[in-house]
Amino acid sequence: MNELILMSHVLLGVTCLILAVWIFVDVLHASEANLARIRLMSRAAAVAMWLAFVIAGYWYVFFYKADKTVILKGPWPFAHNFFMETKEHLVIMLLLLVTYLPIAASNNLAASKDARRVMLWVSGMIAFIAMAMDGEGGIIAMGVKAGLLAK
Amino acid sequence: MDNTGISKYTVSFGLSLALACVINGLMVIAKESSPAVMTGMQKLSGHHWVTHSAIVLIIFAGFGWFFARARGGRGMEMSASRLIRTLVSGVVLGGLLIAGFYLIGD
Repeated sequence: MNELILMSHVLLGVTCLILAVWIFVDVLHASEANLARIRLMSRAAAVAMWLAFVIAGYWYVFFYKADKTVILKGPWPFAHNFFMETKEHLVIMLLLLVTYLPIAASNNLAASKDARRVMLWVSGMIAFIAMAMDGEGGIIAMGVKAGLLAK
Repeated sequence: MDNTGISKYTVSFGLSLALACVINGLMVIAKESSPAVMTGMQKLSGHHWVTHSAIVLIIFAGFGWFFARARGGRGMEMSASRLIRTLVSGVVLGGLLIAGFYLIGD
């Protein structure tokens, strides 16, 4: 069950990343025809991210301690000391960015180049940071594996 | 909506986001450097990270609302370029504070 909780947060995070890229491309071609879709995808990204954050937070508070012990005793202590420690705080910035996305999407993107530029930067930063978080999560998982294999 | 085509909420919450990102980074340094701060944050909610997240989210929402009410409710005026620069700078600085601390300072 623990593993399902963990995997669901990864799935939701990747969903958010994919939606951010989708939104980026859609905004590049913003028009009255796709405005509603951009706004819908922005809200969907925010929902996915909030779910990922809450699920991850639950898992982190109640289940991560065991994994942390394994990582710190294994050959990859940096998987916790740097990668988890940075991830748990960088992801808060990601949450803020994704929460902000629907606000930025509420402008008339079809009519305003400035509004589109804001959306492109925000969705671009979301995609970049989400990718980094996915990578950090992979390293943390490898840290657990390395620690277990070393036993 | 002002002439730039971006709403006052886009500006206000954008500024608030930048501010919250920097404060997020500074809070990491504060709680990791001070056992008293860490203990205090732990006691508030049962886990330091939960307290940390809640504080940053409250700052984001609170300042976003506050900035939107500036200038008699018209919100803060800012060009899109300046808003984007502020946003990106806040996110980058916040990230550098966090990564830099754990890489060098911890």
